[in-house]
Amino acid sequence: MTNSFAPPTGGAVGAENFLTDGVRAVLRVTRCHNCAGMWFPPRDQCSTCASRDVTEELTSSSGIAYASSVVRIGPPRFQAPYVLAYVDIDGVRVLAHVDSSEALPPGTPVALRLATIGADEDGPVLSYAVAPIMKGEAR
Amino acid sequence: MSRDVFIAGAAIQPFGKHRGTATEELGYLAVSRLMATAGLEAGLVDIGFGGSVYGGSLLAQRVLQRVGISGQPVFTVENACASGASAVNLGWQAVASGSADCAIAFGAENLSSFGGGTLPLTTNDIEIAQGMVMPAAYAMRAQRYLHDSGADVESLTNVSVKNRRNGVDNPRAHFQKEVTSEDVENSRPVADPLRLLHCCPNSDGAAAVVLCSEQVATRLPGPHVRVAASVVRSGRFSTGYRDMTWPEITERAAGAAYAQSGFGPDDLDLVELHDAFAIAELLHAEALGIADRGKAHAAVANGEFDRDGRVAVSPSGGLLSRGHPVGATGVAQICESYWQLTKQAGALQVSDARIALTHVTGGGIFGVDNGACAVHILSNR
Repeated sequence: MTNSFAPPTGGAVGAENFLTDGVRAVLRVTRCHNCAGMWFPPRDQCSTCASRDVTEELTSSSGIAYASSVVRIGPPRFQAPYVLAYVDIDGVRVLAHVDSSEALPPGTPVALRLATIGADEDGPVLSYAVAPIMKGEAR
Repeated sequence: MSRDVFIAGAAIQPFGKHRGTATEELGYLAVSRLMATAGLEAGLVDIGFGGSVYGGSLLAQRVLQRVGISGQPVFTVENACASGASAVNLGWQAVASGSADCAIAFGAENLSSFGGGTLPLTTNDIEIAQGMVMPAAYAMRAQRYLHDSGADVESLTNVSVKNRRNGVDNPRAHFQKEVTSEDVENSRPVADPLRLLHCCPNSDGAAAVVLCSEQVATRLPGPHVRVAASVVRSGRFSTGYRDMTWPEITERAAGAAYAQSGFGPDDLDLVELHDAFAIAELLHAEALGIADRGKAHAAVANGEFDRDGRVAVSPSGGLLSRGHPVGATGVAQICESYWQLTKQAGALQVSDARIALTHVTGGGIFGVDNGACAVHILSNR
């Protein structure tokens, strides 16, 4: 499935840390074979045990919200209010924007997408983001 | 190997908005006041440490040289919100090891220069790039805590109401005015479920203490208290799944402080903890062991953390009243506790206060609860 995924073009936030097919997104993560540590962003050396016996993997594009908030005061480029969530996805916990006007209840299933998360003088700011998966919707 | 260390004087340059007063001026005012009230001569000071986040290069020299402390070893310490308490820890290490008989530690900060809004996070990591701000980090912990414990937003509001009530009689506090539950719940939303009055203000101020051997302490005119524990820990880095309602950095720092002092959570008469946001008092109270897991909200509601309760928590008003000039906060907590244990706390006095714990933690970098946490235990025995 990930054959069609490639690094984002045009200067996305965290562009070096994820791949996209233009709609979905997957994260580049590091698995440590010495201590089972999981890392995002990816790295050459495990930050728990310092082992270099690590490999890079791609996550799937679905996860579960751990916690979430509607942020009403923040840096101008994110045009508050905006919604953030910590999302658990294939062994890593990642902070991401949420394509929603409300905070996600803990446990909400989410899909990882390429999305616009803000805007600055150069135009829209792209990155990975999550959207809640509605009941019955295919992942 | 290590000897007892005492605090023999404390001073705070009152916290608030001091827009036109530079960080080094605030630090100078606190240190100058400390030396006058503690009867301390510059020649007696062997070493100095100054904590600040935004104060710039060589802040400690720029402050201490104005009161005659120049030539001695002097260090400027940056450890986020724990900067000032880290300076105290380094002063404690110097005296405990015997390499110094007398140390000054201060913290100073001016945040007004940034204007309003959330504090700038300068570490530029992947979460900050995604729009993380400190209120959002605590808001998400709050959402999860309320979800897991079954408590409601009122449990956060109760913390704000208690700590603002405690701050009314503190002349050093940024806010000296009570608020009602309605005031808190009608204040403007910052990061759901946190509202403005669930958040401490960005403040300007400074605080300073003198740390010394027993021999020096007995020569100084003021009373002294023993530093029963002084601990700094860094956060454990992980990007895996973890429990964000349990600040493990606090648990480890407190555990080390309890081991160092021989005291436990049940021995504490008062606690000044890092209530930068109302939720933080609940999380840290549980990790410090003064409330059961998931039950700190009930302890607040039952009055157990009131000034005359089971253990007084934030009897000075906490960060929610005093404000949070980040590098100064940890030192101010120690000053307030020194005055409690030496019966100089006036209207803030916790009756029969003998053992106090201070806790400050901070640093919004990804992958850790916090970057740095400091815990001190003071005893008047």
